[in-house]
Amino acid sequence: MSGLLLKDFYMTIRYCRTYLFIAIAFIALSFASSNSVFFIFYPCLLCGMIPVNLLGYDERSRWSEYSATLPYSRAQLVSSKYLIGLLAQFAMLVATGITQALRGNRTALYQGYGLLPMLLMLFIASTITPAISLPFLFKLGAEKGRIAYLVMVAIMCAAIFVGTELIGDQFMRALHFQTILPLLCIAEVLIYALSWLLSIHFYKNREL
Amino acid sequence: MNALEINQLSKSFPHFTLGPLNLALPSGCIMGLVGENGAGKSTTFKLILNMLRSDSGTISILGKDNRENLRMVQEDIGVVLDEVGLPECLNAKEVSAIMRRTFRNWNNAEYIRLLDRLSLPENKPFKDFSRGMKMKLGIAIALSHGSKLLLLDEATSGLDPVVRDEISEMFLDFTRSEDHSILISSHIVSDLEKLCDIIAFLHNGKLLLCEEKDRLLAEYALAHCTLEQLNALPAEAVRCAKTSPYGAEAMVLRHAVPAGIALSPISIEELFVFMAKEAKEQ
Repeated sequence: MSGLLLKDFYMTIRYCRTYLFIAIAFIALSFASSNSVFFIFYPCLLCGMIPVNLLGYDERSRWSEYSATLPYSRAQLVSSKYLIGLLAQFAMLVATGITQALRGNRTALYQGYGLLPMLLMLFIASTITPAISLPFLFKLGAEKGRIAYLVMVAIMCAAIFVGTELIGDQFMRALHFQTILPLLCIAEVLIYALSWLLSIHFYKNREL
Repeated sequence: MNALEINQLSKSFPHFTLGPLNLALPSGCIMGLVGENGAGKSTTFKLILNMLRSDSGTISILGKDNRENLRMVQEDIGVVLDEVGLPECLNAKEVSAIMRRTFRNWNNAEYIRLLDRLSLPENKPFKDFSRGMKMKLGIAIALSHGSKLLLLDEATSGLDPVVRDEISEMFLDFTRSEDHSILISSHIVSDLEKLCDIIAFLHNGKLLLCEEKDRLLAEYALAHCTLEQLNALPAEAVRCAKTSPYGAEAMVLRHAVPAGIALSPISIEELFVFMAKEAKEQ
């Protein structure tokens, strides 16, 4: 599978170059700014989009069909996208972690939660997008998959809105974020693993 | 042994049905799959490569069932589809680095030799290649990992006649080895006529014929005659005919035509056009 990862690495360097520049610029800005939640989160969110974009490029160049003629299983073809996404997210978390550690406790986010919880929040934020979108893309293809993903996000947002209205603000405020963060992380790992398995299942059954 | 065996293969789509299809490609042979657009050639290739699921039938590649052992077999097959399918941003050198990690038998020296022979630049991005160059790169990859079977779907389309001739030579060289075989589809029937040992005609998802090329050319001929002569010919001699106010041209079985009728050799292209016409009339 190293061939697939190398191909995705080449593509990330070429096609997602702008993402990388933006990410580096935002990390630098997060270093300079005292209230830098947006600058810290945005690069990680961009990294989450890398596997989604690579799949779009694969379909446009018809690599999706050609790769099916190479000695790779469908599971490997799916896994390469999840792995390249994780590698990019890991690199971004390391870069953000080092920057924030160097900057010390001067940012609001760092002061509020500390380095490790902050990185865990970033991990959740960067992995949730590919975890939800990739199964749609592997099932329906890049174009239809993106539409299905947007519909899914709209439904989720509506459900969250209705949920908070029913439960009430007081309950939400009573939740201690530091306590539920590990639970959210475990849930995100499970969602990511489930997404991976689901994508393999969908892609194995998809006609190319 | 047959390099490829297709038995009772069928696949239905809302407006098209392929099969039931039976084909056998013996080792060491080149089979040409001829058919109009939408005849089912690419569908056949996709079914062989398990990219589509068949409704019924079996396919065996190099003696192994394609649904159970495809990944193992893919090491031994070289594939060029009508669109090569390499990412636009890569160059030939990077493709080599990827394929070295993909095929166990990747032969980099052979790949470099083929790039040189086909005048392909190593550092130019794939997106700047002409269609012909893209096809040539696809063929170079297919020939650089010790393939025993080449599956070529419209692999020579978009190439100029000189390069097509050169590629044909490479394919003929490839099949000098007894365990090397090729299944190739093309619209350019004249290329297939030069190259193939066996010709298979697909029309509207059905196999009209699958026969040794030399036998076809020996068996069939073109008869140029008047309408009266055409009507006097025995029914079993005439497969299909075109008539005009000036006379008739018919595809006939040589041995069934009485003496006195002018016969000329028929090309595979003419044979195919006549057979497709005959199938349409039926």
